[in-house]
Amino acid sequence: MFQQFLVVAGLSSATYMLIALGFTLIFGIMRVVNFAHGEFLLIGAYAVFVAQHQFGLDYLVALPLAALVAGGIGVVAERALFRRFTGDETGGMIVGLALAIAIKGAVTILFGVDSQPIARPFSGSIEVAGAFIPRDQLFAAGVALVMVALIWWLLNHSRLGLAMRAVAQAPEVARLQGITPWKTYPVAFGIGCALAGLAGALVAPIYGAEPNMGEAALMKAFIIVVLGGLGSIPGALVASCLLATIDSGISILFNATIAALVSFAAVILVLLVRPAGLLGRS
Amino acid sequence: MRLELQEVSIRHGAIAAVLGVSLTVESGTVAAILGANGAGKSTIMRGIAGLVPLHAGRILIDGRAIENLPTEQRIRDGIALSPEGRRLFPEMSVHDNLVCGAYLRRDQTGVRADLDKVYALFPRLAERRNSLGRNLSGGEQQMAAIGRAVMARPRLLLLDEPSLGLAPAVIHVMANAIRRIAATGVTVLLVEQNSHLALSLSKTGHVLESGRLVRSAPAAELLADADLKRAYLGDDPLALESLAASPPPV
Repeated sequence: MFQQFLVVAGLSSATYMLIALGFTLIFGIMRVVNFAHGEFLLIGAYAVFVAQHQFGLDYLVALPLAALVAGGIGVVAERALFRRFTGDETGGMIVGLALAIAIKGAVTILFGVDSQPIARPFSGSIEVAGAFIPRDQLFAAGVALVMVALIWWLLNHSRLGLAMRAVAQAPEVARLQGITPWKTYPVAFGIGCALAGLAGALVAPIYGAEPNMGEAALMKAFIIVVLGGLGSIPGALVASCLLATIDSGISILFNATIAALVSFAAVILVLLVRPAGLLGRS
Repeated sequence: MRLELQEVSIRHGAIAAVLGVSLTVESGTVAAILGANGAGKSTIMRGIAGLVPLHAGRILIDGRAIENLPTEQRIRDGIALSPEGRRLFPEMSVHDNLVCGAYLRRDQTGVRADLDKVYALFPRLAERRNSLGRNLSGGEQQMAAIGRAVMARPRLLLLDEPSLGLAPAVIHVMANAIRRIAATGVTVLLVEQNSHLALSLSKTGHVLESGRLVRSAPAAELLADADLKRAYLGDDPLALESLAASPPPV
């Protein structure tokens, strides 16, 4: 059973990282708490559904398309809505909340409240050291980890990443280097939303696509970034593993409700003891 | 690059921080703006860089008006500012801070060569190239801030208080570096409270008092003018030294 726990914890860590990375990236660069982050995950999941059922596309084709659709909608949302609330954290949160409700409502009107089935790209599982690893979940975790590594590389070794870090740390000084924050924001927001969309497309074959999946994802992202420190990418990665371990461990030992209870208790504890998060700076 | 300010006024809300300042810095020369704390020196620098809007007046570089251009475009046009308080990117290494200064440049070989030049100019930075900005000492931060501005390969370099809060030995390093940078032909405008240092580096000095330009003269003339220090340059280190040297009142 311990091996199975490690497998579940490892697989959830990767997906959690993907969801939280986009969330913390957007906050770190724009100081916007994107309350619609979960709904971009929703968009990714339904994009796969539409691609499969309306256009008959293969899952592996639908997957990058779903990320692009979510990213594209993210860019539009930044330019049309979030831009005017840059630096205004409360305003950004309220706009995010409104956008989340609007997207969820639109999805419910279009597709109904029932869970939509997504064809699994892989089936069966492989056995490693007495633990069963479902192939579809292994694929999802693998893609998630590759994306996390790609974003890490992008931030630390590309010109775009340099601009994003500069804008995140000191927007005015970034302008003195010739970097235009107004051009960096939509790119960062789009990338963050694309990551959420990709996460949605990755979990859709496992859990199906349904209108409430965004809320659950937002809660996970929220717990993770509070634990790790808002805006801190290493913090988000570490906290993803932590939450995945708590979640899967307690779910296996007791049940999922107690796991949720414990993770929020951990959030309260961290906020009391270390308000900036484990790796955050106040 | 020739810089010309024409009747520049800048307001902070209802307060006039800079009032009708006109001055010219000839291409390839070093000029200094002197004045006490709060005289409006940094505000002028921020105005030239486009970080604060002008209330009135014009800013010309090589005869071309730039006062309505956004900051990014002014940087593109060859202006670089090492801002007051250094303002390094705190979570970036020294190396990345310097590379950020060259953000607009596409000549990768030239950027690498200039990196080596900055490290040669400030050997201390080469030792600390992987340290984060927030972990540097004040002097190292100042070196990195000047280095970052130089990395843009500017034609007009604005240095805001490069000696502020530094130990005398570090000020000496900074002065030598500024001399060497100026020798490459870049136009330099320097803002300083340390008037002796600034004037020793400059060809021309401009004295600012409460936002108004009260005197513009060759640096040598201002250096020789003892009244000037007493009148306008409140906390001048030399004035303090001479004060300390005089016998205490009985």
